[in-house]
Amino acid sequence: MGESKSDVLQGTLDLMVLKTLESMGPLHGYGIARRIEQVSDNSLILNQGTIYPALLRLEQRGWISSEWGTSETNRRAKFYSLSRLGRKQIEEETENWERVANTMARFLAPSN
Amino acid sequence: MNQIRTLLSRLASLFRSRKLDAALDEEFRSHIDLATEENIHGGMSRQQARTAALRSFGGVTQTREAYRNQRGLPILEVLARDLAFAWRQLWKSPGFTLTCFLTLALGIGVNTAIFSMMDAIILHPLAVPGLDRVVTIAERQTGGIQGGAGASEDKQVSFANYTSWQQQSQSFDNLAIRSYVTLSLTGAGDAARVQADYTSANFFAVLKAIPFLGRAYSASECLPGHDDVALLSFGFWKKHFASDPAILGRRILLDGRAYTVIGVMPRAAQYPSVAEIFLPLAPSQAQLANRVNHDYMVIGRLKPGVTAPDAQAELKLIAARLANQFPASNAGWSVNAQPLLDSINGDLTPMYFRLTLIAAAFVLLVVCANIANLQFVRAISRSPEIAVRAALGAGRGRLLRLLLTENILLGLLGAAGGVLIAQLCLHFCIVAMPDSVARYVAGWSNISLNGRALAFSIGIAVAAGLVSGILPAFKALRFNLVDQLKAGSRSASGSRSAHRLRDIFAVAQIALSVLLVVGAALMCKGMWAMLHMADEFQPKQTLTFNIYLPPARYANDTSTAAWYNASLERLRALPGVQHAEITTILPDGQDGWMDDFQIENHPLQPGKFQSATRLTVSSGYFSALHIPILSGTAFPAGSSHGDAPTAVVSRKFQQKYFPGQDPIGHRIRMSAEAGHVAPWVRIVGVSDDVNYLWVDRSTEPAVYLNAAQMPPSEATYMVVTTGDPLAIAPAVRAALASLDPTVPLDAVETYQQSLDQDLAGLLYVAAWLTVDAFIGLLLAAIGIFGVMANSVAERSREIGLRMALGASRRDMLGMVLRRAALLTGIGVASGIFLAAAMARLSASLLYGVNPYDPAIFASITVAVTAIALLVSCGPARRAASIDPMRALRTE
Repeated sequence: MGESKSDVLQGTLDLMVLKTLESMGPLHGYGIARRIEQVSDNSLILNQGTIYPALLRLEQRGWISSEWGTSETNRRAKFYSLSRLGRKQIEEETENWERVANTMARFLAPSN
Repeated sequence: MNQIRTLLSRLASLFRSRKLDAALDEEFRSHIDLATEENIHGGMSRQQARTAALRSFGGVTQTREAYRNQRGLPILEVLARDLAFAWRQLWKSPGFTLTCFLTLALGIGVNTAIFSMMDAIILHPLAVPGLDRVVTIAERQTGGIQGGAGASEDKQVSFANYTSWQQQSQSFDNLAIRSYVTLSLTGAGDAARVQADYTSANFFAVLKAIPFLGRAYSASECLPGHDDVALLSFGFWKKHFASDPAILGRRILLDGRAYTVIGVMPRAAQYPSVAEIFLPLAPSQAQLANRVNHDYMVIGRLKPGVTAPDAQAELKLIAARLANQFPASNAGWSVNAQPLLDSINGDLTPMYFRLTLIAAAFVLLVVCANIANLQFVRAISRSPEIAVRAALGAGRGRLLRLLLTENILLGLLGAAGGVLIAQLCLHFCIVAMPDSVARYVAGWSNISLNGRALAFSIGIAVAAGLVSGILPAFKALRFNLVDQLKAGSRSASGSRSAHRLRDIFAVAQIALSVLLVVGAALMCKGMWAMLHMADEFQPKQTLTFNIYLPPARYANDTSTAAWYNASLERLRALPGVQHAEITTILPDGQDGWMDDFQIENHPLQPGKFQSATRLTVSSGYFSALHIPILSGTAFPAGSSHGDAPTAVVSRKFQQKYFPGQDPIGHRIRMSAEAGHVAPWVRIVGVSDDVNYLWVDRSTEPAVYLNAAQMPPSEATYMVVTTGDPLAIAPAVRAALASLDPTVPLDAVETYQQSLDQDLAGLLYVAAWLTVDAFIGLLLAAIGIFGVMANSVAERSREIGLRMALGASRRDMLGMVLRRAALLTGIGVASGIFLAAAMARLSASLLYGVNPYDPAIFASITVAVTAIALLVSCGPARRAASIDPMRALRTE
């Protein structure tokens, strides 16, 4: 795969996609990729194509579902939306991340 | 949970891949378009916008690849692709494919057929559930005074002993008893002599055999007066009643007594194999209480958890108890329990099949060597391709899988061909075996393609291919990438050790096939000798048949003797008849009945045995068979029943029992038949030795009794004619019918025919061996050809170089042929050496043949060498015709 910019772990990409869908509602692949780029303040410029295997993975696990529809510009595109399972997954993953972040914060805090 | 959902999704997508691909492309297209649009909004030109969009997308092909890997089951898809590729490769090299296919198919097919036969005949001759739980029980004499009848020590059982065992033993679910007798069947078609087995009602329970028509008889029918029911065996029902479905309820007469047919036994439960009718054993009170007459055979089914040795130990204890209780009848008697299977496989069957099995194993070896060689060569020739693949990024596992897929595909193809060939072989085998022999071979009707055997053969062949494919593969994987790519893609050559391995394979093939061919040739020569062992007795000119005089009408010796006299007179009067004699045992036959005897005034030491083959013959027997009388006289022509009984003994008899003395004038007494007192017979002559048991080439001593004085109740007639013996058979029947039409003739055939039947089994084995040998030879020839052709192809540049440097075509021819000769020489030499060793080991099986027969060894050496060299001519000619310019230019 062409990973020319920063490494992005699969799991974190999955979570980003899920959160994007949670906040933006149903979105097509291009939209998701652009949104992730924006939110990460363009520090995370990945090849947009890598989103598709990730989307497939999420769909295989039943966390998102897909449907063909039309975009605002009247183009035919495949829209992805979050499923109930996906929402639950977001909760779990967020908890995990916060726990990890807290633990790391303790280590990285200046020693008293 | 996630994993299951994912797996299901992957599986599902396998079937819709094309549609999904199209959808994916469309999604990618819309992505690019959306991105392009946004870029155009941002101010880029259309062209720039599109380029930027594509760039930020990343590699489309890689993304698609990653997507597909996520979507489907990559393993299956790769496998499918590899198989397709392997198939194409095989198709492209038809020579290799065809050779491998034929080799595998022949090897697997022939071996499966042989193993299937073995399995049906030796391992599972009876479709009896839990065959290993059934035992035969015989009585044995410990420290016996008398010698044994027959070669084994096991004797039959007395009824009262059987009853005692039944009462006292805890080891058996069921103990059944049987005896057999030959009866005359009338009232249903032709009169015939049938073997009838009287069995107790639980006989069928022991075998767990259920009649497939009707029912078996019950215990209430095993009482005197209620026992007029009969069960037919499947074979007899088919042969004599033409599988009449309305057989139940039919009345038949056996020895004049009426029986009703109540059932037919299934084909697969044919025990004993020669029994044609089963009748209820209904013993009288006297028979029940009899401990002295050992006339019965017992089988039993062990209780679950009890082993045969356990049961034997228990029975031995019971026997000892009985010996104490009834010392008069049971002293010195013990018990022997043996698995039923062992008693079914007579003396000869294992030997036959051991031979065939060995031959089959050799063929399998040759097949494996052949396949190995071919695979080896092929794998080496693919090493440039492997190098390229490795350079493009294929991992080790992937390469290995690639190499082996072809082997596996070949194995499967060969297996399919093998199944076909196996079926053909089995069909042919079954059809070609004469029925009268087949009925003695338990389990013959069960022969069918055996799954186990098939799996075994396929496994071996495929394993051989795999192993031999892996070896060079590993070598190839360890190669130096750069060197391989540099060294020229077209002409790949293996390393030194690869060459040597191939040469070893070729030598091994030749050696094995020499071994096979020598073995088969020796066998065939032995067969030939056996087929002609009885030639001195003019078997082709002799008609033989059996006569049984029913005791109801021929109750005493006078009437029996009168019958024989009259019948022989009539027969001798027929036109074309040179001799008509009777005997109770035919020379070189199956029957070598040994009987004990005593010599007058020479009492036996305890523990010593004295027995001889005993037969009763008519007076002209010796002259009809051209058996010289060495001293004394044969039986005078006019002797009759009232005269003092006389006997003629054979030379062996004299050497063994009267060493250095003249036996003439001495008297001996044979053992008595039931109810008779044996008379003392005076020895009047010594004849030359005649072999009566074709299997045992060491002739036993023989005693000939005079049929006129001690007429037997059944005898075999030998009618020597000038013309075709079968042509006078109707006249013979008529002549005897005019004497007494109720006396049936049995087994009317020429002496040669009956000999052929005895040898049928051995003929079979010889035929199989010959087939195997030819296959082995063929495969070896193919193998040599392959090795030589390949070697020439590899060395084509070297040859071109040599020729460019001045070597002539003749030199190149010589070079190849010399190499071939060297390999052949080593192969033949080792083959001959192995063959000599094998001949020594199996000398006992080769009758009438010198195991080191020089003619055979010499001719086969020459033949195999010639074949090998002939086969090498092709490649040699190719070597000689190489155009040096072309060869050198080809890189």
